[in-house]
Amino acid sequence: MGILLFISVLLVAACGLIYELVAGTLASYLLGDSVLQFSTVIGTYLFAMGLGSALSRYLVRGLVFQFVWIELMLGVIGGFSSAALMLAFAYTQGFGLLLYALVIVMGVLVGLEIPLLMRIVRGRYQFRDVIAHVLTFDYLGALGASLLFPILLVPRLGLVRSAMLFGLVNVAVALWSTYLFGDQLVRARGLRIACLAVFCVLSAGMVNAKLITAAAEDNIYADDIIFARDTKYQHIVLTRFKDDLRLFLNSHLQFSSRDEYRYHESLVHPGLSAIPAPRRVLVLGGGDGLAVREILKYPQIASITLVDLDPEMTRIFSTNPMLTALNHDSLRSPKVHVINADAFPWLDSNTDSFDFIVVDFPDPTSYSLGKLYTTAFYRAAARHLSAQGMMVVQSTSPMFARDSFWCIVATLKQAGLHTYPYHVYVPSFGEWGFVLAGLHDYELPASLPAGLRFVSVAGLPPLFQFPPDMEPMPMPPNRLNTQVLVRAYENDWKDISH
Amino acid sequence: MKVGRRGFLRSASAALVGLSLKGGRPIEGSYVNDNFQIGHLLRDRASFPAPKRKEKISVVIVGGGIAGLSAAWRMQKRGFRDFVLLEMNAQAGGNARWGENEITAYPWAAHYVPVPGPKAVYVRELFEDLGVLRDGRWNERYLCFAPQERLFLFGRWQDGIEPAVGLRQRDRDQFQRVEDLLAKYRASGRFTIPLELGRSEKDVELDRISFAEWLGRHGFDSRLLLWYMNYACRDDYGALAGATSAWAGIHYFSSRPEEEKGPLTWPEGNGWITRRLLERVGEHVRTGQMVHRIAPSARGVAVIAGDTEYQAEFVIFAAPSFLAPYLMEGFPHLQDFVYSPWLTANLTLERLPDSRGAEPTWDTVFLDSPTLGYVDATHQSVRTHIDRTVWTFYWALADGEPADGRHLLLAKDWDYWKEAILHDLERVHSDIRQCVSRIDVMRMGHAMIRPAVGSIFSDERRRLIRRDPRSRVLFANSDLSGISIFEEAQYHGVEAAQMVLRSVSGG
Repeated sequence: MGILLFISVLLVAACGLIYELVAGTLASYLLGDSVLQFSTVIGTYLFAMGLGSALSRYLVRGLVFQFVWIELMLGVIGGFSSAALMLAFAYTQGFGLLLYALVIVMGVLVGLEIPLLMRIVRGRYQFRDVIAHVLTFDYLGALGASLLFPILLVPRLGLVRSAMLFGLVNVAVALWSTYLFGDQLVRARGLRIACLAVFCVLSAGMVNAKLITAAAEDNIYADDIIFARDTKYQHIVLTRFKDDLRLFLNSHLQFSSRDEYRYHESLVHPGLSAIPAPRRVLVLGGGDGLAVREILKYPQIASITLVDLDPEMTRIFSTNPMLTALNHDSLRSPKVHVINADAFPWLDSNTDSFDFIVVDFPDPTSYSLGKLYTTAFYRAAARHLSAQGMMVVQSTSPMFARDSFWCIVATLKQAGLHTYPYHVYVPSFGEWGFVLAGLHDYELPASLPAGLRFVSVAGLPPLFQFPPDMEPMPMPPNRLNTQVLVRAYENDWKDISH
Repeated sequence: MKVGRRGFLRSASAALVGLSLKGGRPIEGSYVNDNFQIGHLLRDRASFPAPKRKEKISVVIVGGGIAGLSAAWRMQKRGFRDFVLLEMNAQAGGNARWGENEITAYPWAAHYVPVPGPKAVYVRELFEDLGVLRDGRWNERYLCFAPQERLFLFGRWQDGIEPAVGLRQRDRDQFQRVEDLLAKYRASGRFTIPLELGRSEKDVELDRISFAEWLGRHGFDSRLLLWYMNYACRDDYGALAGATSAWAGIHYFSSRPEEEKGPLTWPEGNGWITRRLLERVGEHVRTGQMVHRIAPSARGVAVIAGDTEYQAEFVIFAAPSFLAPYLMEGFPHLQDFVYSPWLTANLTLERLPDSRGAEPTWDTVFLDSPTLGYVDATHQSVRTHIDRTVWTFYWALADGEPADGRHLLLAKDWDYWKEAILHDLERVHSDIRQCVSRIDVMRMGHAMIRPAVGSIFSDERRRLIRRDPRSRVLFANSDLSGISIFEEAQYHGVEAAQMVLRSVSGG
């Protein structure tokens, strides 16, 4: 019987420590500041354990009966502690309150366990042996739990199921105790039924843990997803948090409605305002209609051709009320012709010329997107420029992807164009870059459309100055057969994230 | 991010896909472009009906592959029009034939030309004609897009075909040492393209041993190095290193400048060049015309094809040279002309298969596969979104004797090759069977000349290259070089045409 008894001690100790670790981990995950969270959770837990030990003296009769009930309560409370905390964080304001309430209740119950056990077995051993053995296994259990938790439990089971698993261990110890100390127990049968009932509840919890996690995570992470669709071409996600709409394509942020005007005003006006009498404009990419919104601020423009690959994209930005409010219903303007086509072959097959071309593609994150940033592409685009025409190219961040930015500049130059790189600050993106390019020289515009919120005549010249940390880098041009840009871009962002 | 819900959706859609796939996609296809039936008529000396009509023409080009078309290109360019090109198959192009479906054009055999070096003067001239080379600059659209090649080995991808992962120090040393050796040959200037302009008796010893033996003598035993060397021989010669002349093995690695940005390639491979050549000389080309007899005549030489006897001054024999004894009475059988059997297949893919996370490349090769992998016909497209495509699958039957491979090609049905190809692809693309809707297979018993031991410096070969106008029949196939590449075919075609233009009356 001896060794079995002490294994119970070991398991009980492990359970106690696991609940403590679960509480500490969740608190630091969800509230941040892990040093503070772990310190206060551990401190409170230990204090509550002391409280439990102190209270143990008031339990005098039916010690085994009491012990089994304590184990069962711990199994339920500890087992569901993680799930309860996650749901509380997701759906209520009372996470902190529940956290410390649970920590105190669990601490008290755990604090009761060891003194009770010692008293239960004291008649069977010498006092010094009881102390030595119980405490040895207590600490051994703590060691086991503290190793299991980070190595196996959290990565394999997750927090919700780890807690439940140890809840089951508590119940198992309870059940086992009804046999181990059966001689000191009168109503063993009823206790065993209770044990089985709790066991079933916890097992059901284990099986459905994913649902609980999902329900909690849906509410924990970030903003409401108001639209999500996998189209033939990409994964479109639209989120909203209060008044901020955000568009993600393949999980890359495309705009935040709070500051997209900075991006789109900067994309369009420095170039378009400098063209004497623009009539026809081409937008490549930009299916959100936000660049088109800016272009429509020039009444003399007669026609805007928008070429975007994804019909789903242009459809939702023509029909969804929240989005049409953002782009001022630009895609349904009679001046706008929406063409859903792959831009590069479209340029090859079309013969129209334009006074201004906006090239607004996703960043060159793959070799297929990289084709849209090559000398061949810019040559094809330049063939569509009218005598006074210019194009502007969204060119990633000269700050975070400095090599990439200057590689795009080098590519435009290699394609025979004069280049005028500039940059702006867009809070949700950081420092962002564009390149104006054309067959002739560029002069800053003397006036801009009325009502702009960011771009101003006086504010333009500094945009074309690059401070030392964004200064030009010598880069080779990006060609179809080399695609140096894709690799440069990958390296640039790798440097940032490491 | 709503990880939970997204994960659920993903697994749910995977389950749905799994259900819908259970039946498996039916895969159609057949053998295409078979021509051994006609070839065997010649071999078996079948009796052909006497010609019904006679046609007087100065020059007859026999064979409409790159050699024949290049001869025609040269004559046309020099303003000479009195010639006809006779092609046995329904489609001209030979190893530069192509096919086309609603997705893309695709090659049937040769699919690229390396950026030509300075000695390949005729190739450069042709590419200037075709707008591939303009003002000293190669048209970016025709240079192979990045990423070009990938090799699947040890359960992962690497860039390029030369093994670069999983190498021990010993392997690395050997790769370096072989590169140093080859660099010396490269610097010698004797390993050129065209081969004729550099080949030197100094290297005749290299033609007396196999490439495998040469590697062995230099102590190369790295498994990865030997795989790579064998891959190269299979890819360019359809033979293993043990069946390849050491001279040819060295030529493969030392005939081109180290730094080249190419190769030049098109969706339909070298079929693109065939098409451009046909635009220029197509009016002289007659397909489905099997020449069955070439004999001396009063005017010079008579060529009989179908019901027509062409009374010509000269014949440019651009078809494979081994056919000559079957067409020309008294012409000795060629001993030093060995041909490798090949199989190519074009696979129509309704969607791209799982590629273990890698972006598609132009050329994909699997380590330790008996095949040569595949080339993606839509790789040279400037589209950013590609869902359907065509893969051209290459398989040189290099194991065993060429006759064994030819026997296998004749003995097995289409289903056998379909399964073999899918099985090979499945090692990397586990869901390939759900993506492929069609596999067309082309089998070629004599696909390309093999640079066997002793063949590069063979006297027999020299005699044919000498091209004596008095013989009236001038040979032009790439098999004269002993290696079957575009540049050699074009060189011999142009050379033969120039010889004819110098000799023909009114030329």
